[in-house]
Amino acid sequence: MMSRVAVVRFAGGLPGSDQYAVMLKCGLTALSDGGGYAGLVKRLFPSGTVGMKASCLARQNSTSPALAEALAKILIEISGIKDNNIIVWERTSRELKQAGYSLNAASIGGRCLGTDAADIGYSAEFFSSGKVSSMVSRILTDLVDHNINLALLKDHSLAGMSAGLKNMYGAIHNPNKFHANNCDPFAADVNNLEPIKGKHRLTVIEAVSVQYENGPGFDGRHFDRYGGLILSDDPVAADRVAQEILEHLRSKHGRPTLADVNRPVKYLASAQQAGLGTAEMRSINLVVRLIDAAGSEKAGELLS
Amino acid sequence: MKRRWFIKCLGCGTALAASQIDLWPTILGGIQNAYAFGFTKELASVEARYYKKLPGRGIECGICPRKCMVTDLERGYCGTRENRGDVYHTLVYGRPCAVNIDPIEKKPFFHFYPGSNAFSLATAGCNLNCKCCQNWDISQSRPEQTDNLDLPPAEVIALCTEKKVPTVAYTYNEPVIFYEYMYDLAELGHKHGIRSVMVSSGYIEAEPLAALMPHLDAIKVDLKAIRETYYRDYVDGELKPILDRLVQIKKSGTWLELVYLVIPTLNDSDEEFTELARWVKTNLGTEVPMHFSRFHPQYLLKNLPPTPQKTLERAHDICRTEGLDFVYLGNLPGHPAESTYCPKCKRVLIERRGFQINQTNLKGNHCAFCGREIPGRFA
Repeated sequence: MMSRVAVVRFAGGLPGSDQYAVMLKCGLTALSDGGGYAGLVKRLFPSGTVGMKASCLARQNSTSPALAEALAKILIEISGIKDNNIIVWERTSRELKQAGYSLNAASIGGRCLGTDAADIGYSAEFFSSGKVSSMVSRILTDLVDHNINLALLKDHSLAGMSAGLKNMYGAIHNPNKFHANNCDPFAADVNNLEPIKGKHRLTVIEAVSVQYENGPGFDGRHFDRYGGLILSDDPVAADRVAQEILEHLRSKHGRPTLADVNRPVKYLASAQQAGLGTAEMRSINLVVRLIDAAGSEKAGELLS
Repeated sequence: MKRRWFIKCLGCGTALAASQIDLWPTILGGIQNAYAFGFTKELASVEARYYKKLPGRGIECGICPRKCMVTDLERGYCGTRENRGDVYHTLVYGRPCAVNIDPIEKKPFFHFYPGSNAFSLATAGCNLNCKCCQNWDISQSRPEQTDNLDLPPAEVIALCTEKKVPTVAYTYNEPVIFYEYMYDLAELGHKHGIRSVMVSSGYIEAEPLAALMPHLDAIKVDLKAIRETYYRDYVDGELKPILDRLVQIKKSGTWLELVYLVIPTLNDSDEEFTELARWVKTNLGTEVPMHFSRFHPQYLLKNLPPTPQKTLERAHDICRTEGLDFVYLGNLPGHPAESTYCPKCKRVLIERRGFQINQTNLKGNHCAFCGREIPGRFA
């Protein structure tokens, strides 16, 4: 069965919350296969509490708070999710704060907190898959019913690429144990842990300004604008398309392929083998849309 | 820095392990002494030793054979060392999360000042991931996931001096990952007449070990198996560098004892015990104390039963037959193989029950009956 991935590119400057909302609705519409974004959102998030796992390791190079805000507004508007039932989360509150998020663990307003927040922590239970045994953030196990992987596309010196699957390392208590062998098969195993796999509904990978070299820490010398969001309910397919973009940007800047520098993104094949999704472009139904500064939408190109 | 002071109890026989999992340390009994310790949420930030900057960006850690390559803002496998702008930092210097006064026999050291106490401490983190780890709640955590004390080396030594505890033991987790703290503490301790012992898996590079050993008085190594496959499948490490380090320790003259945790079906065959005994005899000699410990199901090996007593006795008998002089069985309170016997006259030199010593028949380093020299460090 084909997996569907939507890439929405913005031709204007840096998107704000309003532009992100347009991009998200466009992408969700493309994923809905003609049903419209509202129907898809209602189907994926019928009720309950929705988590958004942000990627905030590198401070100024993190998933944008404006993107999270736009996504939250769509959930509230379409599914009627209460704002307090939306939780933007990360490993630590400090990381969220440094990335520009406003922390809130209160019972009023949208919540934003790290696993290290008071009374949160990690599951008492160990979850195991393949070579990984970990405790999982209680935000995921106990607080949310559905999770959105709100990831960021960037180069990663060990994994090759950090996008959706790698972002979920931030959900476990011992991510440092799983970086050998280009994170393979560990990235697949982490995403196959029952709470992570079971609550995943949607991957949204921010690829607006992409660090194509020297990641995952911030290195301002190696950024290029791509201006896109990648959306899919197939976490592996979303990453596979992200890899195409990353390799394209690396090539554009004269960098060797990730495989040529001993950082092949091997974990995608393992993730496919684990049944998490498809890692083959030929099995991906890719829709690319381009939105101009005025908000007009047309077909776009993945690599240009 | 804000310091919150809590009165904490230093219980004899119970580790004060404070982790997010437990939420708060629990004192399980045997409370003897009370101290005021400062807890801190702040991680340490002290430059690590033994790392090199890589061409381009990133560093390579040189403290253990894993040789982690770590980029900016990432950590090594141990979870306690972080690259910050290509300067590698230890986050656990002076930040123990488990502190206790233990009998030295608990480590176990049976030939190192028997009956004495050790100020025992550990930080979060480990450079291995043993599926049978009994202290996994601290060893497999990152330091921000545990409640840590602010306890610099000088404060530890002052406490030892005040309470007349002669030894500091780096134990519970793998001390190699808090190398800098251990090194400075051991060095300072020697200046104040306080000994240091390391309880380790031996998974350390040769150079940092060589630099550390002059400041240590004894090392106990958990040799987890004699097969690489076990280290690969159940430890996430390698055997060979550990065997090399054992030889290095023996050659240095630092007092060495070995522990082998016997786990049903995983490392308990006659062939393995024989291979182990022969390797020890050939490479370390017959006088290195060899402790076989009983396994209890925990952490990721809850599916296996506790080690049968007969299995441990089989290990004991094979090693004795192969010629090892001092073979002990642990976690079997009251078993005769907890005691030390003279290899020459066979009489009891140190009679133990658990961590308690009932009688000692030594004259210095010699058997009180036949005069045979007994290897070790005795009062």
